[in-house]
Amino acid sequence: MQIRDYVLRRLLILPLLVVGTSLIVFSLTRIGGSPIGIYLSHEMDDQEVAQLEERFHLDDPLPVQYVYWATGVLRGDLGWSGVAAAPVTQVFPAKLTASMELAIASAIVAVVLGISLGTYAGARRNRLPDHITRIFSISGASMPLFWFAILLLIVFWVNLGWFPVGRSNAEIFHSIPHPTGMYTIDALLAFDLTALRDALWHLALPAITLGYGATAIIARMMRSSLVEELQEDYVDAARAKGLPERLVLKRHARRNALIPTVTVIGLTFGFLLQGAVVAEIIFQWPGLGRWMADAVLRGDQATIMAYVMFTSVLFLFVNLAVDVVYAYLDRRVVLGE
Amino acid sequence: MADIPRRVPVAAPLAESAWRVRARRWRELLTATLANPTTVIGLVLIIGMLAVALFAPLLTEPNTPDPYQMPRDWGALNEPPGTPGHLLGTTNTGGDVLYGIIWGARTSLRLSLIVVSITAVVGVAVGSLAGFSGGRIDEILMRIVDVFLSIPELIFALAIAAVLGPSFRNIILALAVVFWVKYARIMRAQIIHIKKNDYVDAARVIGDSGWRIYATDVLPNSITPVIVQATLDMGHIVLVGATLSFIGLAEAGLAEWGVLVSEGQAGISAGRWWASTFPGLMVFLWALAFNLVGDGLRDVLDPRTESAR
Amino acid sequence: MTPPRAPAADVIATVTDLRVHFRAKGGTVHAVDGVSFDIRDGETLGLVGETGCGKSVTARSFLRLVPMPPGIAAGGSIMFGPERVDLTTADDRTLRRIRGDRIAMIFQDPAKALNPALTVRDQIAEVFSEHRVPDVLARAGIGPATADGWLLRRRAARRARLPERFALALPPLRSRSAAIDRALDDMIADALAETQIPNPRKVMDRYPHELSGGMRQRVMISQALACNPALLIADEPTTALDVTVQARIIELIRDLQQRHDTAVLYISHDLSLVRWVCDRVAVMYAGRIVEAGPTAQVLADPQHPYTRGLLAAVPSATHRRGELVAIEGTVPELIDPPPSCRFAGRCAHAAPACRRRDPILAPVADGHEVACFLHHPPDDADADDLPTADWVAR
Repeated sequence: MQIRDYVLRRLLILPLLVVGTSLIVFSLTRIGGSPIGIYLSHEMDDQEVAQLEERFHLDDPLPVQYVYWATGVLRGDLGWSGVAAAPVTQVFPAKLTASMELAIASAIVAVVLGISLGTYAGARRNRLPDHITRIFSISGASMPLFWFAILLLIVFWVNLGWFPVGRSNAEIFHSIPHPTGMYTIDALLAFDLTALRDALWHLALPAITLGYGATAIIARMMRSSLVEELQEDYVDAARAKGLPERLVLKRHARRNALIPTVTVIGLTFGFLLQGAVVAEIIFQWPGLGRWMADAVLRGDQATIMAYVMFTSVLFLFVNLAVDVVYAYLDRRVVLGE
Repeated sequence: MADIPRRVPVAAPLAESAWRVRARRWRELLTATLANPTTVIGLVLIIGMLAVALFAPLLTEPNTPDPYQMPRDWGALNEPPGTPGHLLGTTNTGGDVLYGIIWGARTSLRLSLIVVSITAVVGVAVGSLAGFSGGRIDEILMRIVDVFLSIPELIFALAIAAVLGPSFRNIILALAVVFWVKYARIMRAQIIHIKKNDYVDAARVIGDSGWRIYATDVLPNSITPVIVQATLDMGHIVLVGATLSFIGLAEAGLAEWGVLVSEGQAGISAGRWWASTFPGLMVFLWALAFNLVGDGLRDVLDPRTESAR
Repeated sequence: MTPPRAPAADVIATVTDLRVHFRAKGGTVHAVDGVSFDIRDGETLGLVGETGCGKSVTARSFLRLVPMPPGIAAGGSIMFGPERVDLTTADDRTLRRIRGDRIAMIFQDPAKALNPALTVRDQIAEVFSEHRVPDVLARAGIGPATADGWLLRRRAARRARLPERFALALPPLRSRSAAIDRALDDMIADALAETQIPNPRKVMDRYPHELSGGMRQRVMISQALACNPALLIADEPTTALDVTVQARIIELIRDLQQRHDTAVLYISHDLSLVRWVCDRVAVMYAGRIVEAGPTAQVLADPQHPYTRGLLAAVPSATHRRGELVAIEGTVPELIDPPPSCRFAGRCAHAAPACRRRDPILAPVADGHEVACFLHHPPDDADADDLPTADWVAR
C-alpha cells in the first residue's frame, strides 16, 4: 500500500530532522557568547551561576553539553527571556495565541481570496482578468512585507484613520474574559459586539498585509492548476454531456485543480510564519514574532532559540501533514495511474 | 510544397558542428525570452538598477570617509521631497534619501552577487557530489539538506545574524549559510535524471574520465534550472537581506534600503512618509525585476503545457 | 459559399464544406479544409486517416468542442436532425440540449475522459439530471404538480444550492428527496447493465481509477448511451485498450447500436478495425476527404492512391513475407496551403495538374466517391499535365 509506506517513511525521518534542527540550534547557542546565556537572568548571583554551569556540564565536551541541553529542553526548561523578564515557557502561550489569531485570520483571507481569484483568472486564460491576476501574483511574491505594511499604515492609519494599530483598545480588551486567549473568539463567546468590533478592527491591517502575499501564492497555483485541468479530456467530456460551462468549471475542473493547490498550503504557512515577524513589529502586535524581533536586538538568546526550535518543528509537521493529505487526495498519482 | 526527396542518404555528414548548434540554441532562447513583454520589463528594470549601482559615485557625491554610510546634515533634517538639493527628501539625521537609494542599490548588488555566487557554487558542488556518489554519501548529504530546509529561511537567517552580531557582513554570511541548500537539491535532481539517460553511459564507454563527462555532458545540461534559481535568488536575497536590516541586524546609518525604511519608521505617525516609502519601493522593484526575468527564463528553458500552447 | 446538400430522407446529419482553421505562430493551419459527408440513420460511418489529418477536429466540431481561440470556424455547416439545426452556429442553449441527449461522444482514453474525483454514479447521474428530469421525477413517484415541485426538480437536476439542500434534508421533503436519489440510482444501474457490466450497483460507487481499462470504457459508453442519442461519436474508442478488450468493446458498440438504432461516427486510424465496425467509410488526408463509400467496396477496390497506399501498408495474411510497404514522405504542412492536391507530394502518380488546384470529391461508382484527378481530370488542363495510373481505366 503505497500511501502507507510513504507516510511511514516520512514519519520515521521526522525525529531525525528534529534532532538535526536541535543540533543546529545548539551550535548557535555555543557560537553566540556565553553557553549558559540563555539560562542567566540578571537576578542570579555568582553562586547560582556556578550551579548552572555545573548543571549543564560546561566543563565536559560538547556532545555531553548537547545531551544536557536537549534533555533540559524536553523537560520544558527553555531558559530565561531577558526581553520578557520571565522564563520563556511562561510567556510563550500568551504570545502564541496572539500570533495564531493573526495567522488564522490571514490564512482565511488568503485561502478565500486566493482560490476565487485563481479560479476567475484560470477560467479566463490570457484575457484581462488573467493578466491582472498575474500582475497581482508576481507583485505579491516580490513585495517586501515591511514596505507593504508601512504603506498600509500610512494610508489607512495616518491619513485615513480607518484602522487602529496594536491588538486592542486596552479598556475594551479587559472588559471581557479571555478563555481562549484569542480576542475575536473571546468576544464572540461573550456576545460582546463592541469587543468583537474592536478585535476585528485591530486585526484588519495586519491580516490584510500578511494575507496579500499568501493570496498571491495561492492564486497563482490555483490558476495554473485550473488551466492544466481545463486541458484534460474529462472537461470536454463533461461539456459533451450538455452541462453548462459554470458547472463544468466548478464541479469538474476546479475540484481537481484544488488538489495540487493543497500543496501550496504548506508554502503559505511558511510564508505566514515568517511574515509575522515583520507584521507584528510594524503593527505592534504582541505575538511571537515581535517578541523574537526584540530578542534579536537585545541579545535574548533563550527566546531566539526557543522560537527557532518551535517554528522549525511546527513547519516540519505542517509540511508532513500537507504531503500526506495530498498523497491521499491525488489518487491518480499515488495509485500509479 | 516542395517535392519531398524519396531517399535520404544513409551516412549524411552532420550539417553543423556541435558548437554552432549550441550557439544557435542560445540565440533561439534569447529571442524566445525577449518575446515575453513582462520579461523585457524586468530586464529593463534590472539594467536600470545595475546602472545606478555601478555609476553611484558619478551620480552623487560619495560620502566621506565611508560612502556606504548615510551622510548627515544636521541643517537639513526631515525635509520633504522636492526641497532643493534633496529630490526625495531627507531622513531624521539629514541624510539625502536619493543618496540612500543610489548607494543602497550598490549595497544590494554587492549583497546579492556575493551571496548568490557563494550559494550557487557550494550548492552545485554538494549536489553534484550527492548525485554522483549515490548510496551513503547521498543519503547523509540529503539529510543535512533536509534539516536546513526544515527551518524557515528568514527565521534561520535571523537567528544566525543575531548570534553573530549585527553587521552587514554577518547578514551576508547568514544568508549564505541558509540559501545554499536549494542549489544542492536542484543539482542532485538533475544529476540523477541525467544518470538515467544513456548518453552518460555512452561517454563512459568511449572512455571519458569522470571530470570530462561532468564538464562537457552533465553540467551544461543541468545548468538551466540553476540559472533560473540564481536569477530568482538575486531578487529574493535582497528582499530577505533588507528585511533583516529592517529588523535591525545591520549597522545603524548604513546606506541600505532596509535600514533606511527602519529609520524612517519613526516619522510616519508625524506624516513623514518619504524616508520609508522610497527605499522600500526600491526593494520591491529590485525583487520584481528579477522575479519577472527569472519567470521568463523558466518559461523558456523549462516549457510546460502552459507556454507550449 | 457552398449551399448545404439536400439530404436523403434517412439522413440524420449532413456536413457541408466544413472548414476549421487554427491560428498558429507561422500562419493559419487549415486543419479541416472542405469536408462534406452524410451520416444516415442507424449506420456506422468510419472516418479514417493518419494522425493530424483532421478527423478528430471534424468529430469535435459536431459538439462544438474545438476551443475557439486558437480555433477559427472558417466556414461550412453541420446540419443535424429532422429540424436541421446547424451545429456550427446554433446558440449555446440549443447546443447544450443536444449534447449528451441527441448526440453523445466517447473518447479515446477512458482514464482521462472520466473525472477522477467523481464516482461513476455521480458522473452518469449528471446526464440524467441534465436531460431527463421528468423521467427521474416520474420514477420517484413524484407528480409534476406538487407544491414543492420546484425544489425537488432542482434536486433531480443536481442544481440545489446549499440552503436548498438543507431544506431538502428536512422531514417533509426528505423521503421524496431520497426517492429521487433511488430513482437516479435505478436509472444509472440500468444504463450500466446495458453494457454488460457485472455488479452495476457496486461499480456505481467506484472511482474511475479503481476500474480496469475495459470497464472504464464500458462506463463511458453507458454514460453516452444513457439518453438514447440519435448519433454517437466515437473518437478512437479502443486505441488505449488492450487488444483482447478492444474486440469486446467493438462488439458491444455494434450490439448496442443495432438495438437502439443509433448512428455512429467512428473515428480511427486503424483500417483493419474499420473493416469490422463500419458500414461506410470516409478516408481523410490533410484536412480533406479523399475517398468515401461502402466499407467493403472501398477496401476491396480503393480508387485513391492514398487509400491504396494505406491498404498496402496494412500487414495481412495475403502479403508476401518481408514486404512491408510504407508510404514515403510525411503529412504536409497545413499552414496557408496553396490550391493543390494535398497528397501530391507523396503520390507516385503526381503530375503538374495535381499541384495547381484542389481535386473535388465526385462519384466513381454507386455511393463511392473519390477526390483525385486520376478519375476526374479538370477540363482545362493539358493532357500532358494529367496524372496516369495503370489501375485506372480511361
